[in-house]
Order: sequence, then C-alpha cells, then structure tokens
Amino acid sequence: MKQQEFLTTVLPFKDKLYRLAKRILVSKDEAEDAVQEIYLKLWRGKEKIGQYKNPEAFAITMTKNYCLDRLKSKQAANLKIVHNNFQNSQNLEKEVEANDGVAIVFQIMETLPEQQRMILQLRDVEQYEYAEIAEMLELNETAIRVALSRARKTVREELIKKHNYGISNN
Amino acid sequence: MESAIIDKLLESYFEGNTTLQQEIQLREYFKQEDVAPHLEVYRPMFDAFAAAGDEVSESEVSLPAKTRTIKPVWYSVAAVLLVAVTVGSVMFSNQELSREEQEALAALKETKKVMLLMSEGLNTGASNINHLEEFNKGTSAIVHINQFTESKNKILK
Repeated sequence: MKQQEFLTTVLPFKDKLYRLAKRILVSKDEAEDAVQEIYLKLWRGKEKIGQYKNPEAFAITMTKNYCLDRLKSKQAANLKIVHNNFQNSQNLEKEVEANDGVAIVFQIMETLPEQQRMILQLRDVEQYEYAEIAEMLELNETAIRVALSRARKTVREELIKKHNYGISNN
Repeated sequence: MESAIIDKLLESYFEGNTTLQQEIQLREYFKQEDVAPHLEVYRPMFDAFAAAGDEVSESEVSLPAKTRTIKPVWYSVAAVLLVAVTVGSVMFSNQELSREEQEALAALKETKKVMLLMSEGLNTGASNINHLEEFNKGTSAIVHINQFTESKNKILK
C-alpha cells in the first residue's frame, strides 16, 4: 500500500480517533500523541488494513486499547494522584470561568467510568450503530445499551443537581 | 414539534432504546430556540454532544519518510556491501602499498649489491697498491744488486 493510498483510507476518521482519545485521556496533548501513535501503528500494519472490512472500526478499537493501556501504565507509575490533582484544579478553573451547561456536561462526562465514557462518545457524539460500537469495543450490544443508559442517566442526574443548585443559588 | 413526543423519545433515550434516527430528532429539537421549559434542563446535554463532535485534532500526522518503505532486507544488503567495499578497498590499497614497498626493497637490495661490488673493487685496488710496495721493495733490492755489481766490478779491476 502506497503512503497516499494509506492516507486516503485512514485520514478521514482522524478526528474521531482524536475525540475518542481525548474522551479517555482528557488531556489534549495526550490525545494528539495517542493519534500519532495509532497512525504509526496503522502504517506499520498497513498491509493488513486492506483485509479488514471496516478499517475505521479497526482503528477505533486500536485507539481504545492504546488509550486504556496508557491510563493503566499511568496508574501503575503512580501518576494517577498527580493527574487527579491536575484534573481537579482544571475542573475548579472550569467551574469558576465557565458556568454554562456545556462545560458542566463535559465535567460530568469526565467523572464517568472509561467504558461508559467511550460508549457515550461513540453513540451520542459520533452516532455509530450499536452493532458498530459492539465491534469497536469488543462487547455485545446488550452490554452497550446497558452502559449507555447508565451513562446518560448519570449525566442527567448530575445535570439536574447542578441545575437545581444554580436555581436555588440565584 | 410537540413536547409530548419529545418526552416519550427522551424516556426511551435514557433507557438506551432509541434508534439513531430518533436521536437525530432529539438533537434537532434541542437545537431550536423554542424548547418546552421543563425540557430546558436537557439542552446542555445535546449542546455538549454537538460541541464534542466539533473538536478536531490540530496536529499533522507525520509518517516516517518514504525511504522507510524500503524493505528491511535491503538495509542488511546495503550494510554488507558497505563492509565488503570498505574491507576490500583497505586490502587492495594495502597490497598496492606492499608492492611498492617490495619494489623499494628490491631496489635497496640492488643498490646494496652494487655498493658491495664497488667496495670489493676498491679493496682489490687497495691490495694492488700493496703489490706496488713489493715492487718498490724489488726496486730497492735492485739497488742492492747494483751495489753488488759495483763492488764486483771493483774486484774485477
């Protein structure tokens, strides 16, 4: 596979990979790094990519695995505490400067378990079919629907809490 | 759009039972200005999903340069060739050098031989000079003979 052919196959879903990576890793820089790594991996395995009936789903699975590994190794390296501190200060800033609902929803999404975050991202942001998400995340459709329902409800509950808090505050 | 329909859609949305088509309907509803007051609370959710979908990666994907597409085998071939050429050139240049050296050595030998011959010649020359001394002795002896003849002649007189 020539480089040009490779790029026309894999570049169209670059932003989707980035958004998923960012949803899992939170940090913009880390998400960009992850995308770069994924493309290098895809490039090295480019002979195989033609064999997959759905290169996009394959790339998303790779992104998911890569990002979850990154999270794991960060935790193993005891960086979690540092990262959480960083996140907290970030969240605080967000709370202070952006009081709008969108920022609050993003904040709530960050508190969801990784799997729910990914499913919410793939369904409500990227609008994939359940069957596609099942393939990407190597799960069955029922598990996905259950996790998705949980994620949506959590967002709703937290949003209502904040909403009511905002109202009672005003 | 009637909010009653949206209420129902939302209900199944939170249960994870909506189709993509229905979810588009929900998104469209929350995009408009007029949203039923009791549904206003959900608006940030759909706004956030839309915003999340607008995020784009800002860095260029950089793949290894084209030369990287060369099969690894060719790298080893190139390396072997390089080593062979280097070793070969060193060896050949060494041979040429030693040939020159050999020639120089041969020339030196020849020169030495010639020198030796010359010095031998000189020595023979020198020994000839010794003979000359003998000759001198001889001549001095002749002088004695002359004296002898002189004295003999005196006696004969």
